[in-house]
Amino acid sequence: MIPAAFRSEWVKLRRPSLLLSLYGAIAGVAILITILTFALAGHHFRGGGGGRRAAVTLAQLAQPDALGKAFSDFASLLGIISLAVAGAQMASEYSVGTLRNLLIRQPRRLVLWTGKFIAVLTFSALAVLLACIVGTITAVVMAHVRGVSTSAWTSSTGLTDSLKAFGEVTLAVCGYTTLGMVVGNLLRSPGAAIAVGLVYILPFELILSATVNGSDRWLPGQLLSAVSAGGTSDISLHTAIIRAMAYMVVLAGGTAVLFVRRDVTA
Amino acid sequence: MTTTTRAPTTVAIETQGLTKRFGDRIAVDHADLHIPGGTVSGFIGPNGAGKTTTMRMLLGLIRPTHGRGSVLGEPLSSPERYMSRVGAMIEGPAFYGTLSGHANLVVLARLAQLPLQRVDEVLERVALTDRGRDQYQAYSHGMKQRLGIAAALLPRPELLVLDEPINGLDPAGIGELRKLLRSLRDDGATVFVSSHLLPELEQICDHVVMIQLGRLMYQGSVEQLVAARHTEVWARPERPEDTARLVAALQAEGRRPRADGPWVCVVADDDFAGELYRVSVREGIPLVHLSTRRQTLEQAFLSMTGDVSGDADQSAASGDGARPAASGDGAQPAARGDGSQPVPSREATTSSGNGEVSQPASIGDVTPPSGNDDVPEPSASGDDTMGSGR
Repeated sequence: MIPAAFRSEWVKLRRPSLLLSLYGAIAGVAILITILTFALAGHHFRGGGGGRRAAVTLAQLAQPDALGKAFSDFASLLGIISLAVAGAQMASEYSVGTLRNLLIRQPRRLVLWTGKFIAVLTFSALAVLLACIVGTITAVVMAHVRGVSTSAWTSSTGLTDSLKAFGEVTLAVCGYTTLGMVVGNLLRSPGAAIAVGLVYILPFELILSATVNGSDRWLPGQLLSAVSAGGTSDISLHTAIIRAMAYMVVLAGGTAVLFVRRDVTA
Repeated sequence: MTTTTRAPTTVAIETQGLTKRFGDRIAVDHADLHIPGGTVSGFIGPNGAGKTTTMRMLLGLIRPTHGRGSVLGEPLSSPERYMSRVGAMIEGPAFYGTLSGHANLVVLARLAQLPLQRVDEVLERVALTDRGRDQYQAYSHGMKQRLGIAAALLPRPELLVLDEPINGLDPAGIGELRKLLRSLRDDGATVFVSSHLLPELEQICDHVVMIQLGRLMYQGSVEQLVAARHTEVWARPERPEDTARLVAALQAEGRRPRADGPWVCVVADDDFAGELYRVSVREGIPLVHLSTRRQTLEQAFLSMTGDVSGDADQSAASGDGARPAASGDGAQPAARGDGSQPVPSREATTSSGNGEVSQPASIGDVTPPSGNDDVPEPSASGDDTMGSGR
């Protein structure tokens, strides 16, 4: 039954208005970021302290971990998009009233919730995969243009680094997706879900982590950032993954209970 | 489409003390529903009376605060045991605007693990095959309504629950819906349908449930309800100046006639027309018209509800359509042996000892038999026309 709910959700997720526009935008941004990275490599620009520094050097782009780092650069953007899409996708079921149709055809609410959740997670994971593939292709083209050797990228170390980064970014984006599903289910309004989700992840957590010492080791958004970056100086990847997963399990579980027990009056 | 004839369930829906409170207000108050299987049962009541809330409870969308019941023989508390045999459209159609009508139904068919061929069948049944690939947001209101009905038909339902399905349909579409509901009933399905268009319900329903302010007021056959409301006998003297004389003569016979322009109306038994004719002959008053008219479902409903709109009730009661909670009143209509239920106490009606709904103290506004009760036959064309009930 969960596979049926999953396939049903994917009928909605693959509608051209969502799939083409969103995946198109993600591909476009991945191309843009990669082109800019290569185009600006080796150029110096004015830094925050008034000095001049290079964004990234051509030598760095030839390192085995270059692709992995590029993937990590996509994480924040993909995370925010995934949060917004998941929040809107869940909340609109309430606001449009389609949830009642779904529950009439699948009254086992936990089955419906699980199928929807997994479908939206795969949607987000595919967005990451798309961004990484498009980014890689663009990087190969730009490397040729800028004369950067790509042999290290395809070395054993390079492939391992890239795959590891892809996994970390996917995990982080799935975390953002979970947050989106949670706020969408709680607020039941697409606009409110997107607004609250983004305000929490961007200004709220950023201000809190900048002002409260050590808070970035506990805030879910900061933990997801740490996961996508492969760990930070403040928190190891291992710890960040465990804490972020704990948050997501609790949030997804709590939301599932709410979804199962709540009266559907819309 | 292939139709299968099913053995009708004896009782499709049965509830005892079904109650729903939202905070301190009661939306549905101790409802004892009894919907016979294989019938088209109308669910009527003013806005905010609790119709949709009741339907939502039956479909497992909201949990009852109190009470229990069964749908198609399965407990209300386990909707997963009966919903695969139930089709429903609640509070109008709700679909994804950028998906086509076909894709919207595929979402539901996949969810219920129904064959996708069924989608084409129901689209054909509601005459949306040609527009099935168009985006839902491009549909007219009537087409949206028909798609909602198609969604309800997806599982070949044994019980069809429709909340205001007539809204948005043109006369031809209404006629086709009428045919569709009858054909479903003939196949053994039960239809539980709410509507504000009472003349329409009267045409298609065998059974009716009336609800006001969360309480059931009547349930039983439409025939019993309107029969219990007596008949209007209308007469029109040839000379308008004889109207007052006829009224006086009837009053002298102990009747309570009322004049309405050149018309005289008496609420009485079916056979009173003959007596009225004899009185007019005796008084030398030639008549150009003499007819009887049974009360319609709408008139019976207005008599029982006191002709008060639900919106007015809402503001008077609690501002949002439900009565304030009254602790411990728990009054429940008593079920009768014949399946109909009178209301134990209403302002506009009284319940006789044998349980029949008796004549209200004053009949609601009556109008001369000018044909205004004739329900127009559906036209042959129209955008919002349902397909033939195959």
